[in-house]
Amino acid sequence: MTLRFRESLPPLPRRRFLTDAGGGFGAMAASAWLAGERAAASHGRGLEGLHHPARVRRVIQLFMNGGASPMDTFDYKPALERHDGQMLGPKEKPEGFTAAAGAVMKSPFAFARHGESGRWVSSVFPHQAGIVDRLTFLMAMTSKSNVHGPASYMMNTGFTLPGFPCLGAWISYGLGSISDELPEFVVLPDPRGLPYNQKANFTAGFLPARHQGTVIDAAASEPVPDLFAGEAFGFARGQADRDTRDALQRLNRQHAAEYPADSRLEARLAAGELAARMQLSAPEAFDLASETRGTHAAYGLDRPETEDFGRRCLLARRLIERGTRFVQVWSGPQGAINNWDNHGNIQTELPPMAMSVDQPITALVKDLEARGLLADTLVIWSTEFGRTPFAQGSLGRDHNGGSFVTWLTGAGVKPGVAYGASDDLGYQAAEGTTSSYDLHATILHLLGIDHEQLTFRTAGIDRRLTDVHGHVIGEVLA
Amino acid sequence: MSVARQAACIAAVVMAAAVSLASADEAAEWLSAEPLPTEPLFTEHVEPILRERCYGCHSHAAGVIEGGLALDWKSGWAEGGSRGPAIIPGDPEASLLIRAIRHVDPDLSMPDDRLPDHEVATLVNWVAGGAVDPRLLPAAAMEDRTDWWSLRPLTQPEVPAAAAECHPVDAFVDARLAEAGLASTVEADRRTLIRRLTIDLHGLPPTPAEVEAFVADRSPDAYSQLLDRLLASPRYGEQWARHWLDTIHFADTHGFEHDAFRPNAWRYRDYVIASFNADLPWDRFVKEQCAADVFAPEATDRRVALGYLGAGPYDHSAAITAPRSFEHLDRDDLVTQTMGAFASTTASCARCHAHKFDPISQDDYYALQSVFAGIGKGDVAYDPDPQTARDRQRWEQLAAAAQHRDETVLLAEEHAALVAAWEAARGDAAAWLPLELETISSAYGATLHRQADGSILVEGERPEVDVTTLVAKGPATITAIRLEVLADDSLPAQGPGRADNGNLHLNEVAVEVRRPAEPLATPVAIGLATADFNQEGWTIAQAIDGDPKTAWGIHPAVGQSHQAVFTFAEPLMLEADARLTVVLRQIHGGSHLIGRLRLTATDGDPQTAIALSAGGSRRFADSGGRADLSHSSSLVAAAVLGQRARQRLAELPPKEMVYAAAAVAENERGTIRYEKPREIRVLKRGDLEQPRQEVGPGALTAVTALEARFPLPAGHDESARRAALALWLIDPANPLTWRSMANRVWHFHFGRGLSDTPNDFGRMGSEPTHPQLLDWLACDLREHKSLKRLHRLICSSATYRRSSACSEEMVRLDPDNRLLARGSRRRLDADAIRDAILSTSGRLDLTMGGPGDQHFSQKPGPQLTPVLNYDDVDWDAPGMTRRSIYRVVWRGIPDPFFDAFDFPDLGLLVAARGESVSPLQSLVLLNNRFVLHHADAMAADIASDTAAAALLDQLREAVRRTWLREPTPQELAELEPIAATHGLAAVCRLLFNSNAFLYVE
Repeated sequence: MTLRFRESLPPLPRRRFLTDAGGGFGAMAASAWLAGERAAASHGRGLEGLHHPARVRRVIQLFMNGGASPMDTFDYKPALERHDGQMLGPKEKPEGFTAAAGAVMKSPFAFARHGESGRWVSSVFPHQAGIVDRLTFLMAMTSKSNVHGPASYMMNTGFTLPGFPCLGAWISYGLGSISDELPEFVVLPDPRGLPYNQKANFTAGFLPARHQGTVIDAAASEPVPDLFAGEAFGFARGQADRDTRDALQRLNRQHAAEYPADSRLEARLAAGELAARMQLSAPEAFDLASETRGTHAAYGLDRPETEDFGRRCLLARRLIERGTRFVQVWSGPQGAINNWDNHGNIQTELPPMAMSVDQPITALVKDLEARGLLADTLVIWSTEFGRTPFAQGSLGRDHNGGSFVTWLTGAGVKPGVAYGASDDLGYQAAEGTTSSYDLHATILHLLGIDHEQLTFRTAGIDRRLTDVHGHVIGEVLA
Repeated sequence: MSVARQAACIAAVVMAAAVSLASADEAAEWLSAEPLPTEPLFTEHVEPILRERCYGCHSHAAGVIEGGLALDWKSGWAEGGSRGPAIIPGDPEASLLIRAIRHVDPDLSMPDDRLPDHEVATLVNWVAGGAVDPRLLPAAAMEDRTDWWSLRPLTQPEVPAAAAECHPVDAFVDARLAEAGLASTVEADRRTLIRRLTIDLHGLPPTPAEVEAFVADRSPDAYSQLLDRLLASPRYGEQWARHWLDTIHFADTHGFEHDAFRPNAWRYRDYVIASFNADLPWDRFVKEQCAADVFAPEATDRRVALGYLGAGPYDHSAAITAPRSFEHLDRDDLVTQTMGAFASTTASCARCHAHKFDPISQDDYYALQSVFAGIGKGDVAYDPDPQTARDRQRWEQLAAAAQHRDETVLLAEEHAALVAAWEAARGDAAAWLPLELETISSAYGATLHRQADGSILVEGERPEVDVTTLVAKGPATITAIRLEVLADDSLPAQGPGRADNGNLHLNEVAVEVRRPAEPLATPVAIGLATADFNQEGWTIAQAIDGDPKTAWGIHPAVGQSHQAVFTFAEPLMLEADARLTVVLRQIHGGSHLIGRLRLTATDGDPQTAIALSAGGSRRFADSGGRADLSHSSSLVAAAVLGQRARQRLAELPPKEMVYAAAAVAENERGTIRYEKPREIRVLKRGDLEQPRQEVGPGALTAVTALEARFPLPAGHDESARRAALALWLIDPANPLTWRSMANRVWHFHFGRGLSDTPNDFGRMGSEPTHPQLLDWLACDLREHKSLKRLHRLICSSATYRRSSACSEEMVRLDPDNRLLARGSRRRLDADAIRDAILSTSGRLDLTMGGPGDQHFSQKPGPQLTPVLNYDDVDWDAPGMTRRSIYRVVWRGIPDPFFDAFDFPDLGLLVAARGESVSPLQSLVLLNNRFVLHHADAMAADIASDTAAAALLDQLREAVRRTWLREPTPQELAELEPIAATHGLAAVCRLLFNSNAFLYVE
């Protein structure tokens, strides 16, 4: 069931979809208990294969935790300079604003046009400015919530409440793994801390547990948890481990032979074998030493400002390259500092965050392209909401789900295009309004999945990542 | 959803309503079917416009039918609204609908945003062409939607005719098997049976000794004795409580952005365990969880049941910054929880529009929200001992009566006796002795002048705030000190304060003793403070409450002297060389300072020392200091009884807290108080900005035997709403509640319910495989209310005892074992795997109850959520080997071990746990530190047993503990070299990973 990751593309072969809701097991093949490359649906509304040829096989999502300011990065608003200091904000405090709106505040950063597309980019992103012609911008994304928790849920799971599966889990559920030797959905959180909602942003929700994100501490000596027994347990390491597991497989096989009709026992056997393969391949994937010095430098591993995010971007590339389906890289922990939630002072709080990711992101995109990986990889730069054009205090900006920026690059999307626009102040989406539903629908579409057809029945509803919403954003498709 | 599919769905709903479908699968077929053949103009062009532009205000689906006009069925526009038919087929000019969308009729008020011309044209063409509309829904079909298995009245079915001694459960099951022509397997062997039953009822494996005893027990009722023994054990409640906690998404933290710990949530967990163990009647369990405060107001110990209302997640951040939407969604969660858990109904599907599949209107949904409209989540205080609650109530009432001089209470017989006793005991008024002041100082530069009468007059600098410190020698024994604040002509408004209006604010009084032999001063505890006058909201008690923001004041009684007495908790022995220090903090600001004061002390009976109000002391003086009862006035009584009440209240054991929801609750935001329930209105499209009609508390109209709106009197307490819902749920005429729980019990015994969607008995759920059996069990539950009785019924059946070993033919004919011809194999769930490892390693600690065990270390995080580390724990620390039910479940930061084995995300209700298999899961069971630690522990435990000295004996013991049988020679041959080369722990690790250990036959 292992698939070579460089098989010809597109289209992907149509595959049989299997039922795995609840616990029907008698008729189910052992492979259905594991996650081969396949899609699943529940309860009689099974899908017959992927819905259309895929353009994308794997995804890297870069998540700027806290609400990256659009009007200080990619959404140039000259009107802010004209109206700087005027009280144009809402008179009453909208829900989710942490304070009443202050005066209009112009961006403290200089903007300039870049590339043939002439995109405006502020001075905080000098590296990304150099690749704007490859990026596809959604300039008028909106969120239902101005509160970190619900808004982060929305961008990750499509709902503002806990308990729903995230994008990565849905993709894992729908498509399974590319390689059996690595986890199919990997999350690389900021080592300074988890984002808002903690690990609930990476949950499989009501989907089978194996679809949840595998959280990996990129800085740890053994990044994949429980890949090997700890040093204190000699009886479970090395030769002892190999002997024990060989005997275990034999005894489990004997046990399964007594109960021939149960595919789950077979599946456990297969899982045991895959686990052994993962032990062989995962350490290599996480070992950055084999990368050249030039690569290290390109990703910024040689500078303290960019070292951490650069390492995780490089790791993301290695995982994708080796068959992980979906990697999510987080910038910034929850809390008042070290993230994109710049309430206090945009001028001092945003630049260090921007600097920490700018060069690594740019290096990642260029590297993927150079290696030909961008032909079937999608990279997404996203955040949970934007920020107000009005000052909070005198120098910061408050939460604003009214309009924010997401960009995409890679397979299947039109480079150098910007879709949608915010109003003159950048406060509310004005045209080409999109939401997480549309973004998710588009990502699934690129992966060969109709977002309306990927469902799982729970508590009386055929749940979808996009709830009852979502339109594929045709304008940005290549 | 595409328009065509939406149309197909609507068509399917119509059909589902009109014809009774055989199964949910069939319903699903309908849903995915192509649109029914209709006039294409309508489905492709007209209906999308109606849906997009009109349904929001004119459809059943939206729950809004403005002007009485519904446009989602043909009969809606044909009959029309308040102004008659909306469409005259063939005559657009005369059709009100067309006139409305053209905005030509000022009487037809419509939204300002007009339809685009081409859409108007489409509708005009359609009407002109005869308004062909395939959406025919006979009016009666709406009513028929309650003709659905779960909503039909629950009546006791006939047990199918079978052999006389046949168990009723088997009679139902065998009848289906006979129909299908399937033969059942034989009864499982005893070893299998005891393991199955013990894990089922206890979540733990039996011990090898228990297995051998049962295998050897030849008595005919050995099995039923086993069943009784297991049901009587407290392990039963621990196991079945876990099922209930999953069902209602209970966890120990908030979830969301600020995933804070709830230190008092565990008390509800203990309540659930105790309730299952006591076989609390199911109706009482429902009533207590919804409204223990109403049904058992005296039994305050039952208040822990209200933890049910606080089980779900809580968005602390949204509660602060987006309170309206927060409350809306928080209520939604309670509606979902209550209707899903108790009634297997997906009511929340009707939040934005009428339920698409089940007969639940938006009105119904918001009536349910209204039930919970007067409560908020947080810690709720209660007295664990009802006697304490009674005492507390009595003394609180008395204190309140004293505060308000309620003479009917104060002069009542029972209290008159207390006053008389005080007067008798009081004797002469306390003698106040002067204190010999050694130093007096002001921290903020005021000038303190001693006066001839022993008082101190404050002059000079008038700072904003001050702290006055007095150091004095005193009498050998002190029971109380008295602070007089004295009027003086030199003070503003004659004082006694220095504020412009003569007031003062005494924030805190602190007393301590300095003894030469001791390096540090010893604080003196003040047990009681009384004053002759208290400013409204600024009472003397606030001068000793430790809160620097509160204080004692005397406004408006300025220009006159006052006094306050501070009675020590214990009489103070003051040695000759010891010094008393009294610190008076006056830090309110605005120069609310004391202008003139005098400090005296007494060694008399503390009862005699309390400060009486002016009238009271005058009356007391008038009576010569020895008033008899007849002279007691309410003023004296108020002082005496108020003091007595406060004293008694202080002596009562403190209240406990449970994380719940109530009209008054404490959480991170402080005290959450609902003076009255929020007004609940139907929200068009679930949008808070589009409120429609107000809805009172109620439940589902679809349960036609019961009143769907609760007839509560005006001004009722919010708790009456919760009580009414509980009574609605447990009414014998409500078929949902009994079917719901009977099905859950079956589900947890067989791994699959008779309906395999335990939280959804609607049209999207599964119809029961054995509806009559389910009804029969539900009737038994309704009649006896006993879960233990239900367990006995189910587990004593031959159906339950069947072997899981079966032929491939049987699997082919009934792959999912829906007909129950054989036993079902199940994997241990996450909790059971951990508990079984502890039990076999010999480390299981069966201590019950109390605060949860933290299987992690933690350090503060950047905000409210801490950082947890599940790897850095001491597995031998106290409590770390207790059962998994006692662990702290952190909603947003799951334990990786439990996570790997499908412990659910408790953001949503969990009716059934998953059973996944993956390579990462295999790695967790092989290498997780907990597993390895206990493999080691088990090896050590076996090795320490001298009876099992030889390696082969040790291996046999290890296999006995895990597989509950003797190993075969072949198995021994497999295990021995591993033990010999790598140690017994390697074998224990292997056994923990074996399928024979993980699966229950």
